[in-house]
Amino acid sequence: MRILVIEDEQKVSALIKRGLISERYAVDVAADGIDGLELAEAYPYDLMILDLMIPRLTGAEVLQRVRRKNAFLPVLVLTARDTIDDKVKLFELGADDYLTKPFAFAELLMRVKALLRRGPVNRSSTLRVGELELDRLTQQVRRAGKRIDLTAKEYALLEYFMQNEERVLSRNMIIEHVWDQSFDGITNIVDVYVRHLRSKVDDGNLFKMIRTVRGTGYTIRSGNET
Amino acid sequence: MKRNSLRSRVTTFYVGMLAVALLVSSAAVYFGVRAFLTKSLEQMLSNTAHNIVTDYLVPLDQKGEPWLVAEMSESYPAGYSDPFVRVSQGPRILYQSGDMRDPFVSTSKLHLPSEQKWFNTFHRETAASGQRIVLYTLPYYAPNGSVIFVETGATIEPIRHVLRSLLLILLLTTPTILVVAAIGGYLLMSRPLRPVVVLTEQAERVGRKELGERLPIIPTGDELERLSLALNRMIDRLEAALDHNHRFSADASHELRTPLTIIRGELESLIQLPLPTTVMEGIGSALEESNRMAKIVHSLMTISRLDCGGEQIELVPVDLVEITGVTLEHMSLLAEEKHISLHFKAQQPTYVTGDPMRLKQIVVNLVDNAIKYTPEEGSVSVFVRAEGDQAVIIVADTGIGIPAAALPLVFDRFYRTDQARSRESGGIGLGLSIVKAICGVHGGAASVESIEGRGATFRVELPLLSSSAMEVEQLRSATYIGLASNHTQTFSGAQK
Repeated sequence: MRILVIEDEQKVSALIKRGLISERYAVDVAADGIDGLELAEAYPYDLMILDLMIPRLTGAEVLQRVRRKNAFLPVLVLTARDTIDDKVKLFELGADDYLTKPFAFAELLMRVKALLRRGPVNRSSTLRVGELELDRLTQQVRRAGKRIDLTAKEYALLEYFMQNEERVLSRNMIIEHVWDQSFDGITNIVDVYVRHLRSKVDDGNLFKMIRTVRGTGYTIRSGNET
Repeated sequence: MKRNSLRSRVTTFYVGMLAVALLVSSAAVYFGVRAFLTKSLEQMLSNTAHNIVTDYLVPLDQKGEPWLVAEMSESYPAGYSDPFVRVSQGPRILYQSGDMRDPFVSTSKLHLPSEQKWFNTFHRETAASGQRIVLYTLPYYAPNGSVIFVETGATIEPIRHVLRSLLLILLLTTPTILVVAAIGGYLLMSRPLRPVVVLTEQAERVGRKELGERLPIIPTGDELERLSLALNRMIDRLEAALDHNHRFSADASHELRTPLTIIRGELESLIQLPLPTTVMEGIGSALEESNRMAKIVHSLMTISRLDCGGEQIELVPVDLVEITGVTLEHMSLLAEEKHISLHFKAQQPTYVTGDPMRLKQIVVNLVDNAIKYTPEEGSVSVFVRAEGDQAVIIVADTGIGIPAAALPLVFDRFYRTDQARSRESGGIGLGLSIVKAICGVHGGAASVESIEGRGATFRVELPLLSSSAMEVEQLRSATYIGLASNHTQTFSGAQK
């Protein structure tokens, strides 16, 4: 899998490159619109990560020109503004997804993976993480066969965790997924719900599945490897 | 009539000036007429006296006294004479024209001239019948050495009468003129002042929401046109300054995002490495702070966009009761954590026009704030209702409240009533500013009341959607699927 990163801020592109390489992707970096466009036309990339504020050509222009030649290249746009207007315009121009700076790398990685997979994540009716089992049809959750009663929000939270097993989910990602953007301002809502969920899932078990990743967010682990 | 309006001040000044002018000219007329009439009377008296001397006294020696009496009684008949005439030698009266009639003036009892100072002068006496009389005494020194006095006199009653009439006329006309001038002037002033009224009304409108509007230019070419032009230039400068300010905070938060991305990315990649716990602690803490900073930048940008109208908000009919109910449900666990009972009361759907996300954010921020500042076992109550043409959201808590001095400041950016306490609870001090900004773009207002130690009550007013319930339902059925109609709920404790 080969990814093109068009980003003028050298440190940002270096970070993205380093992170993606460690996830075993091949990464090319272009620092401006013209270079980026040339690269995009020269090689068959699987994904393009595009900053909107770049020199020589704007991100929007690059996006437009790329789309004219290649309608199927997934494009993830990085933007420093997040007004509704901008978002609508981005999708009109042909962006597949966008990420507002500053972002957690975990989030970037998730979106990259989602775009590369280009299909429904895991639509099977049962999600499994280790001994934890979630049935989407009956909305029942069991750990090692023992039923766990969850409220609607706790269920949604756990489903999101289990869909992204072993991946770190930032509080922002969780809020946008389980609540909506209007809850942006209050950080502790995620902590409170995760705490409740954790007590229901992990209490009485030796292995704690739901983990806190300091400064970043939460993740769920199966415990199979340990 | 406003006491301190320019119009009444100008009118008062000009009527005052007119009054002074009228008083001066009236006084001049009055005293001028009086002087003229007195002078004429005196002239007549002195002429008569001199005529008598030349006509009757000079030939007296040759013609004798009987002639004098006969001649004079013909020229100045007794009882009719005006002026009164008397010729006397020492105590002996040679001829006297007697009392005047029409009007009756008793002159017979006037003193005979004796004192030197009266000679050749006019003096006044009061007749026995009460009138004032002017007398002129002319001594005639006969060739035989004797002194004969000729006295002429007239009542000044006619003059007084004329003067009284004149005074009456002046006293009546002056106030009449002044009143007419005041009314006329006041009415007349409304025309040149009309543009000022227009300017004032328009100036009141400018800046209510945005500085987009301008004052009307009054093409009169006078000071008012220059004033309106100058005011418009001032608004231009204000707008430029505000624009600059807004653009600055938008640009600043925008520029902060890239370094924040880098800091975060670097820390995130560091935290993957096997490092000693103390180092991990430090990196984790730095990450948390960078997250908070990102949140502040995000909130600041939200506020500045809302404030400068840069954000196009969605405008759809929204049932405040519905979104409040849903939001509270999502937040119920926050209250439960602190054993705070969360109540929601609303009778019927209450519609406003707005952006559902933003309106929800109002509820989220207010309720979060209420829970944060309410100690355990307290309660938070939320009401949604229509009051007149306003939809009202009320969030009341039984928390620590806000000191009276801080009440006007709670909606200010970064304002905290208690620095240490709220930082501990993770706030960034922008939640209420966002509430205010959202209210602003929706044409509403936010306010707060509080008794310190007893709790605070936040109140948000938004313009109620005036269309009938039916129309709203039709509009909604296209976009939403209705939710449960029973909106009186208590969340706390339900899930234990």
